[in-house]
Amino acid sequence: MELFDNLLIGLSTALELKNLGFCLIGVLIGTAIGVLPGIGPIPTIALLLPFTFGMEPAGAMIMLAGIFYGAQYGGSTTAILVNVPGETSSVVTCLDGHQMARQGRAGLALAIAALSSFFAGTVATIVIALLSVPLAALALKFTAVEYFSLLVLGLIAAVVLAHGSVARSLSMVLLGLLLGLVGIDVSSGAARMTFGVPALSDGLDFVPVAMGMFGLAEIIANLERPAERHVVSQAVRGLVPSWADLKQAFPAMVRGTALGSALGVLPGGGAALPPFSSYALEKKLAKDPSRFGHGAIEGVAGPEAANNAGAQTSFIPLLTLGIPANALMALMIGALMMQGIQPGPQIMREQPQLVWGVIASMWVGNLMLLVINLPLIGLWVSMLRIPYRLLFPAIVLFCCIGTYGIANSLFNVWLMLGCAAVGYFFIKVGVEPAPLLLGLVLGPQLEEYFRRAMLLADGDFSVFLTRPISAGLLAVVALLLVAMLSPMVVRGRKQALAE
Amino acid sequence: MTRLRLDWQDLLFGTFLVAVAAGALYATRTLSVGHAADMGPGYMPRVVSLALFGFGLFFLGRSARGVAVTIEAVRLRPLLAVLAAVGVFALTAERLGLAIASVLTVLLAGLATRETRPLESIGFALLLSALAALLFIKVLALPVPLWPR
Repeated sequence: MELFDNLLIGLSTALELKNLGFCLIGVLIGTAIGVLPGIGPIPTIALLLPFTFGMEPAGAMIMLAGIFYGAQYGGSTTAILVNVPGETSSVVTCLDGHQMARQGRAGLALAIAALSSFFAGTVATIVIALLSVPLAALALKFTAVEYFSLLVLGLIAAVVLAHGSVARSLSMVLLGLLLGLVGIDVSSGAARMTFGVPALSDGLDFVPVAMGMFGLAEIIANLERPAERHVVSQAVRGLVPSWADLKQAFPAMVRGTALGSALGVLPGGGAALPPFSSYALEKKLAKDPSRFGHGAIEGVAGPEAANNAGAQTSFIPLLTLGIPANALMALMIGALMMQGIQPGPQIMREQPQLVWGVIASMWVGNLMLLVINLPLIGLWVSMLRIPYRLLFPAIVLFCCIGTYGIANSLFNVWLMLGCAAVGYFFIKVGVEPAPLLLGLVLGPQLEEYFRRAMLLADGDFSVFLTRPISAGLLAVVALLLVAMLSPMVVRGRKQALAE
Repeated sequence: MTRLRLDWQDLLFGTFLVAVAAGALYATRTLSVGHAADMGPGYMPRVVSLALFGFGLFFLGRSARGVAVTIEAVRLRPLLAVLAAVGVFALTAERLGLAIASVLTVLLAGLATRETRPLESIGFALLLSALAALLFIKVLALPVPLWPR
């Protein structure tokens, strides 16, 4: 049984004492930033990238992955207790979770959210393990032509599932691609758009870009809105759900997990889509839909399961094909590259310890979240009392030092400053920066594969359509583009993404 | 007299894209483009910039379609304070050392909101500076001076 062998290899890596430690640090940091509204996992992971330099690749990835799913977990705590989504993924949890808290069932809501997340995490870990092998085997048949088509599919799908106007997201991808071209051209040695700045010859570091656009720009925008927080102040009691509660929640958990696992694999999936779809599904299936919005337990269990499952299965395209499903996975690719590991289908054969270690650590991490977090709930609640006026200057400072630390270059700090200003502009004109980050990270690869494919095919563009796998991938791209233009899908998408 | 109804979001974003694309085209004008089978360094920049240029024009055109979309008012205080905080860090970190740069950065960032209390902010800045020095210089051995040279 290859699957069990692989999982055993993974567990042996994940259970090493130091990796357990990294996993624990990851999920704790993740929960903390998840609990705190206004700090997302993207700037946090960008901030911590420099710290992972000295670590082994497996430890680094285990910790960063822990931050990601830990944040999903912490986000729901805030949603339930404060009615403010700690993360975008927990927007839906506010609806029924906070109602439950107001009815004095905060403990139950938290426990159900935790159990659903754990259940979904366990299933998703198995799904990843099952899907990784055949996908990686398929990917080994890929040449530059297929890779180019795959990258195009990844970028387009990310656009389809992103918030906001499709045309705007497409232009953000292109903007990212353009930024990715800055630097010395590998094949010819010509300097492109470096404007004579030596620091630019290696290309733009994506960490300052990510921190500026996601971290600092968000802070500036947050400061413009008056902050209001009403913490449910009563003591959280009744953490152990009754059988009746569990029976009611379980089917929703299963459905949410299935939905989340499927949506998470899609490029561009991830945070927002799975919980929204799950909530809509539960409401449709319920005998009495009017209970939703007034503390229905399924309204917490389903979306929470979906969001955790989606968070984890979004690692599948990254680990097997080397393409990131969303901006966060783009950062993960960056982390791998910094460790000198080129992500791609060969990674599973060359680094089984790393890949399976990360997969197994997700299950370990979910167990930690369940065991550690319910007793620690008081600590997280008290963290919510840290006022934003103290929080944000600290984040600004750590962003500065962190950006400087990547390459010990002040140029990166200036770059971050510029990106913060541009990011603020993007927020004002209503454009999402995530597709830009994807374009920036994937741009150099896209160009490389394109050049190689054209070299192979002697400049004949039809090669992308005559090779079956590539043609299939591009057919999906075409399908997505057509679907985006159809009015029905546009309306459905708006509904699903409306907050 | 009818007032012109403009989508300001599209207008500004379109202008931005056109400017960036034009800048990129200008900056890469001397690079050889080559042809598809043997691309020069200028091939991709040219293709991407032209596409961006097209999108920019599309947004500019769409902005005049008769639907008014306004932009939320820009509040200068948070914007300038946060940007200035980062700028001060960049200017002082290597000259005055991390300890002083950290204090200045936190104090300036604190100016971004009226909620900041001066005394608390100073204390917090000193605390963060000490923490940053401990973490980044002692533990992580970041090669940045702690005090002015």
